[in-house]
Amino acid sequence: MTISESDASLVDSTGTDTIVELRDTSVSFGMDRGESRVLNEVNIDIERNEILGVIGESGSGKSMFASALLDAVPAPGTTTGDVIYHPEDGDPVDVTGLSKSELKQFRWEEISMVFQGAMSSFNPVRSVRTHFVETLSAHDYDVDAGIERAKDLLEDLYLEPERMLESYPHELSGGMKQRVLIALSLVLEPEMLVMDEPTAALDLLMQQSIISLLNEIQEKHDLTIVFITHDLPLVADLSDRLAVLYAFEFAEIGPADEILERPAHPYTRALLNATPNLSAPLEQMRPIEGESPDPVNIPPGCSYHPRCPLADEQCKSIDPGPYDAGDSRNHDVYCHHWEQSIDDLERAFTESNSDDSPATRNASHSDDAEPLVSLEDVEVQFGSENDGWLDFGESDVVTAVDGISFDIYENDVVVLVGESGCGKTTLGKTAVGLQRPTDGTIEYKDRDIWKGSSGSSTLEDEEIRRALQIVHQDPGSSLNSHQRVRSILSTPLNRWHPDLDGNDRRERILAMLEYVGISPPEDYIERYPHQLSGGEKQRVALIRAMLVNPDLILADEAVSALDVSLRVSIMDLMIELQDAFDTSFLSVSHDLSNARYLAEKTGGRIGVMYLGELVEIGSAEQIIQNPQHPYTQALRWATPELEQDDDPDENPIRTIDVPDQKNMPSGCRYHTRCPDARETCRTQKPELVDLSNEDGVQRTACFRVDDDHEYWDSEPITDDAVDGDEDDDHVNVSG
Amino acid sequence: MDWRIRRLGQSVFTVWAVMTLTFVLTRFMPGNPIDYFLVEVGPDLDDPAQAYEMAELYMNINPEDPLYIEYYDYMTAFMQGDLGRSMSMNMPVEEVLAIAIPWTLFVMSWAVFLGFTAGIAIGAVMAYWEGGKFDTALTGYATIITSIPFYVLALVLLTIFAYRLNWFPTGGRQPEGVEPGFNFLYLTGIVHHAMLPVFSMFVTSGMAALTMRGNSIRVLGSDYLRVARLRGLSDPTIAIHYVARNAILPMYTGLMIAIGSMFGGAVVLEEIFVYRGMGWYLIEAVRARDYPLMMGAFTVITIAVVIALLIADLTYGKIDPRAGGENREAF
Repeated sequence: MTISESDASLVDSTGTDTIVELRDTSVSFGMDRGESRVLNEVNIDIERNEILGVIGESGSGKSMFASALLDAVPAPGTTTGDVIYHPEDGDPVDVTGLSKSELKQFRWEEISMVFQGAMSSFNPVRSVRTHFVETLSAHDYDVDAGIERAKDLLEDLYLEPERMLESYPHELSGGMKQRVLIALSLVLEPEMLVMDEPTAALDLLMQQSIISLLNEIQEKHDLTIVFITHDLPLVADLSDRLAVLYAFEFAEIGPADEILERPAHPYTRALLNATPNLSAPLEQMRPIEGESPDPVNIPPGCSYHPRCPLADEQCKSIDPGPYDAGDSRNHDVYCHHWEQSIDDLERAFTESNSDDSPATRNASHSDDAEPLVSLEDVEVQFGSENDGWLDFGESDVVTAVDGISFDIYENDVVVLVGESGCGKTTLGKTAVGLQRPTDGTIEYKDRDIWKGSSGSSTLEDEEIRRALQIVHQDPGSSLNSHQRVRSILSTPLNRWHPDLDGNDRRERILAMLEYVGISPPEDYIERYPHQLSGGEKQRVALIRAMLVNPDLILADEAVSALDVSLRVSIMDLMIELQDAFDTSFLSVSHDLSNARYLAEKTGGRIGVMYLGELVEIGSAEQIIQNPQHPYTQALRWATPELEQDDDPDENPIRTIDVPDQKNMPSGCRYHTRCPDARETCRTQKPELVDLSNEDGVQRTACFRVDDDHEYWDSEPITDDAVDGDEDDDHVNVSG
Repeated sequence: MDWRIRRLGQSVFTVWAVMTLTFVLTRFMPGNPIDYFLVEVGPDLDDPAQAYEMAELYMNINPEDPLYIEYYDYMTAFMQGDLGRSMSMNMPVEEVLAIAIPWTLFVMSWAVFLGFTAGIAIGAVMAYWEGGKFDTALTGYATIITSIPFYVLALVLLTIFAYRLNWFPTGGRQPEGVEPGFNFLYLTGIVHHAMLPVFSMFVTSGMAALTMRGNSIRVLGSDYLRVARLRGLSDPTIAIHYVARNAILPMYTGLMIAIGSMFGGAVVLEEIFVYRGMGWYLIEAVRARDYPLMMGAFTVITIAVVIALLIADLTYGKIDPRAGGENREAF
């Protein structure tokens, strides 16, 4: 049963021009366990020429929502309900009722789609031009005119049309492929573009650049864009309206600024609070308790009630219909208590979370403290040099880490950030002895960790091996899928605490599970990894590392694979465990928001890496609030914020794409992209300069921090001087 | 250095290394051609010592020379295009090979050609109806049949169709009593003789079908196929340019290796059917410790495989743009 105060919102509202309306649209899959509803009777009107941001965690049904718009749900799924498309002139079209050939015409000509996997959206053996040509001819479009249009589109996306068309997919970088895919989806001039996580696989800087381009494209081509993502801050700025999906239903739909400032649904509010970002005070960030429901067993009533602090009997039995919230007519919220939610939620939160969030502490270290792990001029090269006539391989050396020195202290947290390929993971693995450096030394408590293990890739000293541990990015593949939690967790105990007998071990594991919030532990200890949720798996992986009593744990993107709402809770857990077990964390992340949360809460440091070098390292506050290196400033710019920014800053990079690692730029490696680069940067290499003051520690490798440097007298590098190759992706996004 | 030149250099090196190894290994086999000759000829002669002299005279070798001198002599002759003289056949090795190779290629190319075409077609159909009855039945069949060695099947076929039913000859490579040449009787006779060997090789080659099935299923689940369908491409375009091409690509190297190994023939197969091709002569050569023929046969096989791989390497970039011009190897 559905009750609703504002049925008016379902009627095609006057004044607005609807392009697609969904009425009671469901997508379901028949499964052994029963029917799985992955989209549950949703209603929404998408307006012409708007950008609608659809936000949902993984498994919220957001990809199914995208597919349903084109009636493209993969078999054996079925779409029921109405999907009605309103052409600009002509009669409405019932998309689900179209025949196969009508559907073929409708897709791509009226509504087209961009997938997450741009990397794999192209046929690897056909050139980009062929992709355009076959699309045009399949729809009986004029090929020559279509190719001209494609060239215009590519040019609008700051790509070189001719070169792109002649390329094969593998010759393009991820960001280029994604832009070509956008051009391909627009070549038939559709009215609407559905984008399903289009930037999820891209680096921060590329992601932000594409988002800026989308705005221009949308205006130029009068497009309606549906942008689907798990990353709320990413679309916050871009969208006109936001729709929040939870458990296969919409929780809230409304204008973007209203949703961001006055979220009416408790879930939206919780999601906003759970999303790590750069500006909000840390105390405001809290995890959402509990897990999303299973599509086979959607709770009756409001599907959010098991996790909602405001839930009462009404929520458990009655499905909330859309209520009009806020000032504007088109803000719908699916919650019985939305008015209360706006006022009371803060209190509800404070009660449930009063004392289990660890307080911010300060782990700053005086210079004379003994480092736990000390890296000195570490260099890691991959590939091999051609070393003789029997070696037929070409000299093929990539320097992943190039002369980095830093110290990690006891109870310390260091977070390495940078774009993919900058060497942050390699440096991390080197620091914990999983990768042998080609040059330089790593010392653990003044002992060289590679001493005595000549030529082998494992550490000789077992004590050091125990002290340095790792937690991987994807808990799904780092836990043995054929072992129960019990045996996964007892392996480290058997190895390092052979004196414990079976009962002691079991007791200890149970206690640990309980400690990290997995209960009842007696139930979980007999489970296999696939019977755990993502968050639980990562907790088990954390415990496994902790059980050997390590001194330093490398957390390699430990929260990146998790849902937004779980990230904060896992990071809180890491901080708590760090306190309890007296360990240090070396964390690797591509996301400045996560890095900030972890480092600021523990008083740790953030290290920014670029092409194998450490360009800036310092306390979280200094790196976020007062970045000195232009690259850190660019990362800061690229990290999306949870607020609508009416005056976007100018893009602080000159070229989007990272230079080729086999052909490193001379001097300062960032000079090819740096907006402030001058001739000096091309020839001289800046060293890390200590800028620490009372606000925190900070070391930066840039000439600009030295007021007397000859840099200030040299000529600025203009873009014409940059090599042709690197000019290809020149982007001047502004305003 | 251009990677093609380097690849060529690698190939030459491989051929030399295999030849050297073969040369040394054959000489370490127990027995030698003289002993074989003595056993064959000796009892007919009054004086065994005379046989020894005859052997040296006929076979023109000096078994007393140290290995490295023999090796040096052989390699010098080889560079000049002289493979030596077969002791057991009593004619130049080149001639023996020239007689044997066409027959082997005839049988093997049919077996490989039929095996791959049928395998690709059946594999594609199996993938299309993945999980269906046809797929389940054929997967089971292919798995079982692939694990049966072809010579076991050959013996069964030979017993039934040749000895019992007399439908096919029990051995040989050409009809007897027919004038060799381009006449109907002779050509049908050749086909008739080749049928059982080809069939026993073909039936046991279920691997291609299984590989094709796996590859196709992988492609069918790929993102680009889904995008292609959404883009409204026609079904034939999708089937040929999207699924088939991407599924067959990884099998290309396998096909080239199969073509290269054809020259070696199926040694046991030719022995069973007394089919006088490379395999049959090779076994004869081993039996007679006929060093030059052994060396010649092994060298031809080696060179054929190496050249096939070289071609695979050089052409892979043409059919798969991802491998083009890069420092990559196809296998």
